[in-house]
Amino acid sequence: MIALSTNAGEVPSPFDAEQQRRFDEAFEKAVAKYPPERRRSALLAVLHLAQDELGWLSEPTMAYVAFRLDIPPVRVREVATFYTMYRLRPVGRHHIGVCNSVSCWAMGSENILKHCEERLGIRPGHTTQDGQFSLEEVACLASCGTAPAVLVNNFTYAENVTPESMDALIARLRTEPGQTMAPGPHPRHLEDKHGIEKQSDPQATGTLGQPAATAVPTDRR
Amino acid sequence: MAERVKILTVDWDKPEGWSLSTYKASGGWQALPKALKMQPQQIVDEVVKSNLRGRGGAGFPTGMKWNFVRKETSFPKYLVVNADEGEPGTFKDRAILEKSPHMFVEGLVIGCYALDCHLTYVYCRGEFRKGAAARLQQAIDEAYAQGYLGKNILGSGFDLEMHVVVGAGAYICGEETALLESLEGRKGYPRLKPPFPANAGGGLFKQPTAVNNVETLANLPAIVEKGGEWFANVGVPKNGGTRLYAVSGHVNKPGVHEAPMGTTFRVLLDEYCGGMRGNKKLKAIIPGGSSSAVMTAEEVDWPSDFDTLKAKKTMAGSGGVVYLDEDTNMAFALANVMRFYAHESCGQCTPCREGTAWLSRLLDKICDGRGEKVDVDNVHQIARQMEMKTICALADGAAMPAKSYIEKFRADFDALVRG
Repeated sequence: MIALSTNAGEVPSPFDAEQQRRFDEAFEKAVAKYPPERRRSALLAVLHLAQDELGWLSEPTMAYVAFRLDIPPVRVREVATFYTMYRLRPVGRHHIGVCNSVSCWAMGSENILKHCEERLGIRPGHTTQDGQFSLEEVACLASCGTAPAVLVNNFTYAENVTPESMDALIARLRTEPGQTMAPGPHPRHLEDKHGIEKQSDPQATGTLGQPAATAVPTDRR
Repeated sequence: MAERVKILTVDWDKPEGWSLSTYKASGGWQALPKALKMQPQQIVDEVVKSNLRGRGGAGFPTGMKWNFVRKETSFPKYLVVNADEGEPGTFKDRAILEKSPHMFVEGLVIGCYALDCHLTYVYCRGEFRKGAAARLQQAIDEAYAQGYLGKNILGSGFDLEMHVVVGAGAYICGEETALLESLEGRKGYPRLKPPFPANAGGGLFKQPTAVNNVETLANLPAIVEKGGEWFANVGVPKNGGTRLYAVSGHVNKPGVHEAPMGTTFRVLLDEYCGGMRGNKKLKAIIPGGSSSAVMTAEEVDWPSDFDTLKAKKTMAGSGGVVYLDEDTNMAFALANVMRFYAHESCGQCTPCREGTAWLSRLLDKICDGRGEKVDVDNVHQIARQMEMKTICALADGAAMPAKSYIEKFRADFDALVRG
């Protein structure tokens, strides 16, 4: 385990060269939004950028973000665990969030969730065996007039969802590559309280269609 | 029916209504040159006259808030925009950002000029990152290119930098001090007040800060162009202008409807939303987001302005109106609402962290058919104990529906429990 309580000096990057280039470019833009002495305020934005590249935030990734912003790793972890959009373990390549708040509920979101569970064969919080889909319930998306609403991969809205349109959406997503998902704890063991301690399982990289990017640096000082 | 006043939604039905050219064609970006020729205090005085009230939920008079900030002698000062729209039932700010981003940006530039602020942030909720926030960023880029932002705006000598920042999924960050914490890169724990954000020591980076809602600022161009008095006359006393009612639930035409402040819920339902879906009977109205106390069908003639609803022990809140029909079981509705608050409580204050979770467990028990009469009484009692005991208003926002659903729809709860 990487020490989380103090700054640990230089931390190796979890990115490959191409990811590093994109990350660095966006990192500079995110930091530049704040006065120079306040650059650490960009933490939320930088965590989004890291997750864009790797799909989730492993502890080495968090440690790297802490190093880049020169803040204690424990503060990064504090923020990453507080906000629901940051993932602390891998999810599916297509992550489906079904809104369960009151307007969507009134318009039948429970049926949409049940339909998704049956179609994908998983419960909220779980990932399909092939790693393609994961499911969760999400809170109000500001899409109440077009309820029920679904959020794909954190940022893409699907609105006025019906069981039929949900089927079409799932079918379309199957043909798309979806988000990069770096290896990590076994997706099927999300409910396992020890799951987060497990390192990458061949299943997570072997059957996903394309090799996932390397998230865990081999040299962990 | 009289001609409907449109301030915020003039361009919404046009193709590419969000574009710079559409906004300019309908007279947009004309208020800024006028504002820059006025004294900043003159603008604030117009806003005071306009009776503009904050559209985020609390309905605080915007002009008064701005005068607090202007009185402070500590610089720099900031204007931070709350676009962390997350109150269940509310979706009007997203609509403004997607459909009239330039109107909002113009209003924000005017606001910053009035407050002598040179750096401003728009804090959007994380889910907007690739939709509404991207659309807003495009409008900001266009405004920079036109000279409406940046150094020496339109030759006035006024400089302004504007940035979009996104959150990462936390309802609590819609609370203004939690939003400031989040904007500074921390978890969204609301701050103990005083000092208030408007005062030195309480705002962004401890500087005096006005935190305003998206819709509030989008009204600024109209106030500058037509005057505060004109704006005040659109609404009802002490509640100036129109309001964007974000209507959802069992109505024929859900969506964002612009209507004068104080429009009654009956007019909103029948004239703007085409009545109830499937000719069902109305059962309940959530008047201003899920935190507001619920109303019965008999109360449909109440005007929707801030003061009337406050006197009636509910609130106009965020303008998210949900109409529920006769098939809705209000016990299940409350269980749903409470799951939301239990999930979104930040955990800082014990009455809220424990109270919302406890209420949620009790309501789930009632809805599962395992409840007893005493559980219903307990829900009401616990909710009363949570009020006014926490740093922010989330606990009160959970207690208000809990109390009112039981007081007004007790039969739905009693039908589910033994004893």
